[in-house]
Amino acid sequence: MINCKICKNQEYVGAFFCSECGSQLLSDQELDIDTLVIPSRDGTTEPGQAKNPGELAEGLSDFGLYNADRDQYLEIPSSHEFTIGRFVEGQVITPDVDLNPFEAYDQGISRLHATIRYVPKSQNYFVVDLGSANGTFVNGYEIPANSEVPIKHGDKVKFGKLEFTVLIPE
Amino acid sequence: MTRNTDYYRKLNIHPSASEAEIKRAYRRAAKKAHPDVNKQEGATELFLEIQEAFSVLSIPEQRKAYDQGRDDIKPDDLPVKLATQFSRNGIFRIDEPQIIYAIVNIKVSEHIKKIEELPLNLAIVLDNSTSMSGARLGILKSASADIIRDLGEEDLISLITFNDRAEIVLPSQSGREPQKLINRVGTLYAEGGTEIFQGLEAGLEEIKKNIRGNYVHHLLLITDGHTYGDEEKCQKLAEEAARRGIVISALGIGNEWNDQFIDQIATQTGGMSLYIKELEQVQPFFRNNVQNLQKAYAKQLILEIQTAPDVDLLSAFRLLPEPSPLPDQEVISLGVLNQDQPHRILFEFLVQPIAPAVERVLLANGMFTLKRKTGDLDLPFLLERPTLTEGEEPEPPPEIIFNAISHLTLYRLQEKAQLDLDQGKPDRAYQRMINLSSHLMSRGERKLAKIAMQEADHIKNRHTFSPDGKKDIKYGTRRLMLPG
Repeated sequence: MINCKICKNQEYVGAFFCSECGSQLLSDQELDIDTLVIPSRDGTTEPGQAKNPGELAEGLSDFGLYNADRDQYLEIPSSHEFTIGRFVEGQVITPDVDLNPFEAYDQGISRLHATIRYVPKSQNYFVVDLGSANGTFVNGYEIPANSEVPIKHGDKVKFGKLEFTVLIPE
Repeated sequence: MTRNTDYYRKLNIHPSASEAEIKRAYRRAAKKAHPDVNKQEGATELFLEIQEAFSVLSIPEQRKAYDQGRDDIKPDDLPVKLATQFSRNGIFRIDEPQIIYAIVNIKVSEHIKKIEELPLNLAIVLDNSTSMSGARLGILKSASADIIRDLGEEDLISLITFNDRAEIVLPSQSGREPQKLINRVGTLYAEGGTEIFQGLEAGLEEIKKNIRGNYVHHLLLITDGHTYGDEEKCQKLAEEAARRGIVISALGIGNEWNDQFIDQIATQTGGMSLYIKELEQVQPFFRNNVQNLQKAYAKQLILEIQTAPDVDLLSAFRLLPEPSPLPDQEVISLGVLNQDQPHRILFEFLVQPIAPAVERVLLANGMFTLKRKTGDLDLPFLLERPTLTEGEEPEPPPEIIFNAISHLTLYRLQEKAQLDLDQGKPDRAYQRMINLSSHLMSRGERKLAKIAMQEADHIKNRHTFSPDGKKDIKYGTRRLMLPG
């Protein structure tokens, strides 16, 4: 049997989706379905490209997250993929972007809350909730954990209670 | 095809056997050799050989080539093309059950340009209860008039209205004097309640008057209301209709009609059930429906499917020409096979652990029967897969299968939410609709995602779907399964 990572329901081997909550059971990588509507993770980190500091990753240069309450932009690393969360002393895996300056604890941000990912092939951005305690929301809808949800210019992405507007200038 | 196999001997018949004899012999042999019955060693191989023999001899073009000793049968020569695809290229050797999906696609070959036209034997069964009065009935009158104008020389039409009782407005007749018929339709008015059984029974009676003729038999049911207490009787009528080759398509207008009931009636007979929200959609639907019937290559397509031992068919779902669940039966009526509309069916099989010696796993054997003007055509097919060797990575699933399953999962979520509500679990239904909404969102279906979210709220506050939203979500997620 396969365990659904999201609702813990058990499904038979060979199933692709959880029949209880509808989540995809295997990652796109495991399924290797990069021609499908749901873009693969393969395209996200092409060797030597994203990991190369100093050089701006293609397409990512203009991506921004703007918080209207504070009239503040989030500092974002120039890679195809980065994690967002709340840095805590002694933490083993630290987030690429620390939301402590936004009172992360009070806003209900988990240590590793979400990932933002850019897929050069389809030129799309995605947000993935990493199983955070208080959830990630896109335009008010809570997204399921561990699945890629596309985001575009103008979308409202909320981590816990902290909301950002996605800015992707043409 | 191997030349040294004698297909006639395999089926135990003489080379001069008629088509009917071949079919009978096949059924007899297959029954005896089916792995369900025959537990001897080599039974599966024998069964596969019988299948192969029949798949060649059952199609006249192929049989002729075989008789002449030719090996050069091109698939293009066949009037119909069958194709199968699987979610996995093989079966895992594991000690637990596993799921495998198969898609079977059947379509009329491109080289069949001119089809033998089959005339139509159509009954329009209109709900004219009080709720239909005004714009609704007006639109239905014009839509019916359109159909009457489109009828061919040989086509037959009848028109029945029903409320608390049925009235035969137009008994079954040819449409050679359309204006007279249209004038009669113009006099219809609305009154009374909705008793679908009355209308259905009268409509089927009109069709049955000419059941022996070589027609495409079709009943078009239009309703906007709930029928009470006669559901079971309607179901019986639908079963009888399916047996006699009559297809029922149903159109629900507004939000009050019982979608589960209407779906059952339609799928039982191989017809389609549609939800019409905007009245402007009625006329195009009527026209398309009838025009499609007039392009029928086979007036009825019948599917028989039988699973191998240790394999269960968990579900069968029709993806094309119109997505709908299929009844849980061994013999399924699929309606007409159109020249330019393939039928595509998604099967979900559960396979029990396989014995170590097995290298080819038989999932199921099936047969399509095409009822044509020129005679029946049987197309047997086998669904089987090799086993994957230890450590072998399965190939990624074909996109077409993955997408179909992905969308079917969404359709099932809304069905499960309804089930939750029926079982008095609104909290679970609420969570399911939230999940459905976010999955729809992630697939870019913003409009449906929004409706799912509204329905989640409705369920939270009132412990039920809204009448509109329920149908929007049900038929909306169903339509996602249409490719492109």
